[in-house]
Amino acid sequence: MTIAANLFWRETEAVLAELSVDVRLHRDDFYSQPDWDVFQVRYTSADGYRLFAWLSVPHGDGPFPAIVRMPDYGSVHDLVYTSLRERAVVMNPTYRGQRQSDQVFQAKYPGLLTEGIEDLESYVMRRVFADALRSMDALTGQEQAELGPVAFMGAGLGGTLALAVAARREDIHAVAANTPMALGNPASLQPGLAYPLAELDDYMRLYPARRDVVKRNTADLDPITLAGKITAPVLLSLGINDTGSCPLKFGEELAEKIPDCDLRVYRGASEGGGHEHAQIQISWLSDKLGLG
Amino acid sequence: MATEQDLQEFETQVTCPDDFDEFWDSTLEQLSGISLKPVITAEPLRSNDDVHVFNVTYLSLGGLEISAWYSLPTQGDGLFPAVINFPGYKSEPPVRRDWAKKGVAVLSVAVRGKLKSSSEFNPGYPGLLTSGLESKENYGYRGVISDCVRGVDFLRSRPEIDSDRIYACGSSQGGGLTLITSALRPEIKAGVAGYPFLCCYPEAMSLLRSYPYDELACYARAYPEEVEQMLETLRYFDAVNFAPRIKCPMVVGIALDDEVCPPETSYAAYRALTSHKELWLFPNSGHGNAHDYPGQERAWLEGQIGLTAVGT
Repeated sequence: MTIAANLFWRETEAVLAELSVDVRLHRDDFYSQPDWDVFQVRYTSADGYRLFAWLSVPHGDGPFPAIVRMPDYGSVHDLVYTSLRERAVVMNPTYRGQRQSDQVFQAKYPGLLTEGIEDLESYVMRRVFADALRSMDALTGQEQAELGPVAFMGAGLGGTLALAVAARREDIHAVAANTPMALGNPASLQPGLAYPLAELDDYMRLYPARRDVVKRNTADLDPITLAGKITAPVLLSLGINDTGSCPLKFGEELAEKIPDCDLRVYRGASEGGGHEHAQIQISWLSDKLGLG
Repeated sequence: MATEQDLQEFETQVTCPDDFDEFWDSTLEQLSGISLKPVITAEPLRSNDDVHVFNVTYLSLGGLEISAWYSLPTQGDGLFPAVINFPGYKSEPPVRRDWAKKGVAVLSVAVRGKLKSSSEFNPGYPGLLTSGLESKENYGYRGVISDCVRGVDFLRSRPEIDSDRIYACGSSQGGGLTLITSALRPEIKAGVAGYPFLCCYPEAMSLLRSYPYDELACYARAYPEEVEQMLETLRYFDAVNFAPRIKCPMVVGIALDDEVCPPETSYAAYRALTSHKELWLFPNSGHGNAHDYPGQERAWLEGQIGLTAVGT
């Protein structure tokens, strides 16, 4: 890890440590199901920002394995159904600017990837990573469900955030990341990419004099700088035609840096392995979490 | 995984209300009384050497201001053919520069409730599917569909657009809206509806436990006394009832392992089409992730457009 990246993560942890997580749960009667309860969760992240998460808790006695499904690059992080919900706690946390975490700041899509990028202090994506770390604090801080082993998963930006949390937090048993976004890596700054990474090239085209600023202010977020610190097993999927989130060469380099990585490469684009990999992922997570 | 035989054997209980056409004629008439008032603003950040990107606003049902991304080729003065792209349920409309680069204008509509069009209507996701279910007049999708219709009207109002060559596409909710809008605006010359949502609500809400359809199941559980009214309202917004009214060629793409929009329900919409139609089935694929779908969609629409003679 670079000195600058190390400093960024230390400062981020220090900012979070100064604030109480202050987790509040509210049962959502409308979306609760016969087999599990759904809660709306609110908690505090960096800058005192209140974040929202969906949390589902199976009926019955715990402890329950937990799956944290990190949000992708988009405004909505909803209650996506997973067949594991009946047997595992499932948390869908948001980051600042997403719907239900947008009281102070509303992210734009496209737009978030370069929001405030001209200055390290104002670049919102750096705080998005703080919000990701906070999701683990909120999960372990809630008292509704007794927890067993915890897995993180996500696609695109969600895949990158899942890997980042696994590198920075102990007690994560498994990570399933699909086409993790290459933000911060030089591969994200190439011309000719698709959205969302193309937002960076859009910005540099309009402000060519700021090219070095973009490179410098995103560099600390490069997933490769954290990869070596991930102790949990990782299931990583890539699409050979992906130009919008995880260009293949970057993904392969990332896989090499992760100590325990099960890499699967598919002929898809940003959807990675699509349906085929989704089945593999469910089975893999079930195995890692002891769900049988 | 569903089989083709499963799809063929599926029978929906959805029927068409007697006053279906009257309801939609009335809505279209209401729309025609609202000035479009288009405003077009350049978006230099998203534009490049090949494509001018603009943010567009226009007025729709209830006088709501609707936004859209509008991409135009930088080469040629028109008349350009145009594709109108309808958004998925929870995703924001994409900036489409791919076709504009090839000489085709693209309007990517942010229907009401999307970030760019949410100042006066914002039920959220989940939320939209159950918003206003108490009556067909108040159901949120009456506005959403109107916003799509007005998008076609916007394209028809533009001097740089060839009004005889307007095409439609979208996936999931965008697929459902492609079918519905093509029925209401015969000016659409051809369309591709991928993994279409908004089909066979009574069956869709019980075949799977995934969102968005599960919002309806939650609603039914919370308000059992309202179920009859809910299903009555939804008959006016079911793509199956719009399909026979479509006059243009239409493709329906279905993933046989679709865990969000049950393939049987999408197939029912395909079966109800009476115009020239094509069915693309994707085995071993789920919702929105058939590897071959994007390429097939692009190739089919470009064939319909006749890309060799555009933008001149």
